[in-house]
Amino acid sequence: MTAAPLLELDAVRIRHRDAGRATPDGVSLDIRAGEVVLLLGPSGCGKSSLALALDGLVPHAIAADLEGTVRVDGRDSRRHPVAELSETVAMVFQDPDAQVVTGTLLDEVAFGPENRLAPVGEVLGRAERALKLVGLWDRRDDNPDVLSGGGRQRLAIAAALPLAAPVLVLDEPTANLDPAGIDEVYAVLRELANEREHAIVLIEHNLDSAVDIVDRVVVLDATGRLVIDGPARQVLQERAAELLELGVWLPVSTLAGLRLREAGVAIDPLPLTPAELAEALDSIDELPTPVGDPAAEPSAASAAAITVRDLSVQRGGRRGPVVVDGVDLDVASGDFLAIIGTNGAGKTSLLQAIAGVIPAPRGSVDVLGMDPSRADARERARRIGFVFQNPEHQFVADTVAGELELSLRLQGIDEPERRGEVDRMLRRFGLEQHRDRHPFLLSGGEKRRLSVGTALVAGAPVLALDEPTFGQDRARASELLAMLRDLNEEGTTVLVVTHDLQLVADYADRVAVMQEGRLLGVGPTAEVLGGPLIEAGGLRHPPLARATRSLARHPEWHAVARMSQLPSPGGAAA
Amino acid sequence: MTATTTGARPAASDLVAAGEPAVRRPFLHRLNPIAKLAAPLPVMIALLFTRDVLTPLLFTVGALALLLLGARLSGRAIAALLIGTPAGVALIGFTLGVWVDRARIDPAAVGADVVLVEVGDWRFTLAAYLVGVATALRIAAILLLSLVVGLTTTGPELVRALVQNLRVPYRVGFTALAALRFVPRFRRELDLIRAAHRVRGLHRGRGPVAALRRMVSYAIPLLASSVRHAERVALAMDARAFGAHPIRTERVISRWRARDTVFVVLFWAASVAVFWWGLAVASR
Repeated sequence: MTAAPLLELDAVRIRHRDAGRATPDGVSLDIRAGEVVLLLGPSGCGKSSLALALDGLVPHAIAADLEGTVRVDGRDSRRHPVAELSETVAMVFQDPDAQVVTGTLLDEVAFGPENRLAPVGEVLGRAERALKLVGLWDRRDDNPDVLSGGGRQRLAIAAALPLAAPVLVLDEPTANLDPAGIDEVYAVLRELANEREHAIVLIEHNLDSAVDIVDRVVVLDATGRLVIDGPARQVLQERAAELLELGVWLPVSTLAGLRLREAGVAIDPLPLTPAELAEALDSIDELPTPVGDPAAEPSAASAAAITVRDLSVQRGGRRGPVVVDGVDLDVASGDFLAIIGTNGAGKTSLLQAIAGVIPAPRGSVDVLGMDPSRADARERARRIGFVFQNPEHQFVADTVAGELELSLRLQGIDEPERRGEVDRMLRRFGLEQHRDRHPFLLSGGEKRRLSVGTALVAGAPVLALDEPTFGQDRARASELLAMLRDLNEEGTTVLVVTHDLQLVADYADRVAVMQEGRLLGVGPTAEVLGGPLIEAGGLRHPPLARATRSLARHPEWHAVARMSQLPSPGGAAA
Repeated sequence: MTATTTGARPAASDLVAAGEPAVRRPFLHRLNPIAKLAAPLPVMIALLFTRDVLTPLLFTVGALALLLLGARLSGRAIAALLIGTPAGVALIGFTLGVWVDRARIDPAAVGADVVLVEVGDWRFTLAAYLVGVATALRIAAILLLSLVVGLTTTGPELVRALVQNLRVPYRVGFTALAALRFVPRFRRELDLIRAAHRVRGLHRGRGPVAALRRMVSYAIPLLASSVRHAERVALAMDARAFGAHPIRTERVISRWRARDTVFVVLFWAASVAVFWWGLAVASR
């Protein structure tokens, strides 16, 4: 690998027109053929801006100032148009829906080379190779809309390949996918990485999937400066504590290893994958007993908050498919319940039926003595708050305070009382300084907090959230879940639909598994995540459970699925 | 050693025929979209200026026949065309006929003294109904003529023909195609926004003012997400070299064949004959 680097970045600073400071800030690095580089950093450090600069979208297509130089195959990105730089750098973005231009898979994959004026035979040859590589050749005449999320993202990768660019940049390619989709995409990326024909630059928060295909890690800190650049394994194992300090997420197995070390378990080197964690644990003769799962103990007979009996939901009229099929579910007051399942398992429909978002399903739903499909909106809002995936969908007022006030006004609460309540909610959700801003101008995390605030301001003791972590990075997702846990500890019953099983493992008390509209089972988190229901539901065990389940010498660890079950630093006996 | 190269193989020859399915399609599908657009377009405009019943009736029947013979239609579509067209014309004809200003109907016209319905001193005459039917037939004829291209052409085919045969810049054509793809997404998005607002208990009012306020409150989140989506699509297109050259590779060639010229000429000739006949009958 003595050839000239494909990408040369020299002191790159990017400042968006409306941003105060530049992120990234002075990044220099070279990327050579065949390298698989993982770009890490806390949210807001400028990873995505840097990715967009690699093929000239910054500064050509995005209003941002670029300082320093980006050389793409020796060409200064400022002097050459994106179309020309795309010969060297191909991009795959986060949202699979926003990358489809044409009406069939074949047209989609041919789009790039056609733009480049490649002869017809070559276009077809390249398109065929790309579609075969991602396993979609047989579906070449289908409309991209009928593919699953994972399928569409594979298509996006396939569409990037026929440009024959030696560099492939992927910006959070799996953030919008369910676990099955993530696996599909990584199967493709692993093959590309093995071929060594492409240099791959990957931005990914899901390190558990990415860690075994990358060979170099580049880390930016919160201010956008390059702080670490080195071989992947070495960086993740030897500088793990430093990475955590920077606000970078680590593989779950590594986090578990760090925690075990603190508890006095001699684990060295730090494991990066579940298999390595299992191996490390099995090589130790005596392990401290894991902490019992507090959620597994039956709660002190608290009253039922939600009772669902024989609930069925049909979508799209009488001919539509049955998406929820004869579900019985009890949720006790004060529970933190996660509903999991593959795409199309009926999770969201069940949650919507419980919250009265879908009108009158078959069967019965009781939320604190109310039938949500019969009650009027005002009554419903006093009992159950529903938070949609995209918080913006729920906003109607011009200011943050107005948003909260509106919910109270709909309850018929008079002015002085409203004001006090709005102030209290603004404080509770850390939004005081934004009180007069437009809700759409908040940051992603703030929007999410406001949407939870508006759902709860009418006094609902039950909160239902549909995929609240979809499309967010790990840090923001766990920030949200931590907030939900606080609310739960204050007494709110929380129901959440999500794909992220490790987050479920670490926050939810109980888990319900759905498949094809049916409820396969409900139980305490560790029991469900460590047990057979996960496989029955077509899901994969979250990383920690995967490691502990395979332990040969420590059967008492098999039920460990949550971080909180690992022995704590205070000593194993605690 | 892990050379799992799927590459290095030349283009699959079975692919070259991708544009032309093996099954022979009905003739309208095989015409150039421009021909299917150019032939009925002047007729549709001319129909706006007719007042008689016969001319639009002939064009309605003619367009129906053309669709049944030359287009691949599902059973349901055939039923909708054959039953829906006369039913629709009868119904719309009645509704429009009711509103016809009776003072403007020539008392000597056909059916001016044939009363169909009488309520008090308001009388609905056959002549009024015929005026309504003529208007309804004009609407039907124009709609059916637009289906000649509409039911037998896909969006990409039309764009291809516009770009290749009419020299419309491909940027315009592709932008239109991409915009079409936004529509289902907007619909889903709008459904979600409505559900979200309903859950919050907003807009329970009825009437036009409440409806207007509802629309305004849906518009803001819809616009915000649409602009964001459009920007992302644009970036994805740029990153794949869209607009690199003044032309693109055309994988499927849109040809203007002799049969396209024949179709347009025959269509126009038949149309002129129908108009002439209609005028002749009317002036008798």
